[in-house]
Amino acid sequence: MNNIAFCFDLDGTITKEEILPLLAKEINLFEEINVLTDITMRGMMRFEQSFKLRVKLLSEIKISLAQNIVEMVEIDKDICNFIHENKNNCYVISGNLDVWIAKIIKKLDCKCFCSSALYKNDKIVDILNIIKKDEVINNLKKQYKTVIAVGDGMNDADMFKKSDISIAFGGFRNPSQSLIELSDYVIFNGASLCKMLKML
Amino acid sequence: MQNVENVIISCAGLGSRLKMNMPKCLIKIGNKTIIEMQLELLKNVPNIRIVVGFKETEVIDFIKKIRNDVIFVRNPDYATTSNSYSIYLATKDLKAPYVIIDGDLIIKKDSFDNFLSKCKNKNLVGFTKAKTEDAVFVKIDENNTIQWFSRELKTEYEWCSIAYLYNIKISNNQDYVFKELEKKLPLEGIEMDCFEIDTPTDYMLAVKNISTLI
Repeated sequence: MNNIAFCFDLDGTITKEEILPLLAKEINLFEEINVLTDITMRGMMRFEQSFKLRVKLLSEIKISLAQNIVEMVEIDKDICNFIHENKNNCYVISGNLDVWIAKIIKKLDCKCFCSSALYKNDKIVDILNIIKKDEVINNLKKQYKTVIAVGDGMNDADMFKKSDISIAFGGFRNPSQSLIELSDYVIFNGASLCKMLKML
Repeated sequence: MQNVENVIISCAGLGSRLKMNMPKCLIKIGNKTIIEMQLELLKNVPNIRIVVGFKETEVIDFIKKIRNDVIFVRNPDYATTSNSYSIYLATKDLKAPYVIIDGDLIIKKDSFDNFLSKCKNKNLVGFTKAKTEDAVFVKIDENNTIQWFSRELKTEYEWCSIAYLYNIKISNNQDYVFKELEKKLPLEGIEMDCFEIDTPTDYMLAVKNISTLI
């Protein structure tokens, strides 16, 4: 059995911005998508409903263009280095769509569990599967002695409930209050986070 | 050059004896909060963990503006658990030696620097001239070695809730920290110039003496 699995949320945890509002700028829906993203992170709307709606609104953007935009998103350097150094035991667990985040995952070079899309001619046709973060953690627990989760929004709540150690991370903005209440640690700095993860 | 890499500050408690309905670390003595004074003393220490509980959001928001690399350890059971449990939570995964400090302690800078300079390859326990209302007294021999702790038997000195724990682990047993230290007696001690604030009288005493501490 492996020792420790490190599970990271992507949007707002590894990335220093939320990805979907960024895509929304392309079609002048930034404000609208931003509001939806914000209320979802605070737990005021269920992730599945909100995500379906946001994908619907953003599906007219060409996938190739979306991938290029996402590739430019700033990522936390310390977390990125930590993942590179421990890539066999690091997992990105993201509600975001496989086709949109493909290039960022390639850059991080680790395993990823995320939602998936059905696409045709560079456009998204439908959502195939929305990830259930708690199921991913349950499966990892069969392979690892300890599962550690790092996240910032309410869609990480299920992941926090199932993990052995949970860390609310506010590198980009304050973690949602309800998520803090489910966490063991609260950290606001990528270097501190990684120093602590290395000690475990 | 000091050797201390890890410091744990416990700020989780209710501070119920002080009756100010606010976390003691956020109480101002003079023009600064206790935690600000402590973080100034710790500016060369790379890893700081602070245990939060009572009014944790206020405490976190205040501290992260001063130092955003602090690791906050949550003790949601702060109302029913002891300070030693808070320290246990913060250190259970920590393999390196560390300093523990209570979040209600005001320490004079040169006294603290002297303490830090002596934290090396051994346990070191802080004591001060007895002055608080609910003191845990310590018996010191001529070499500053602590012989025993006691709440009942009065001595000239009291345990001041600061220690460098080189090879002592705080267990998950809900007792007082000094009860954990008792198991390892005799322990090397060091006299410190500090004020601990548990009661309104302690608070008044610290306010009156603040000019001697900064």
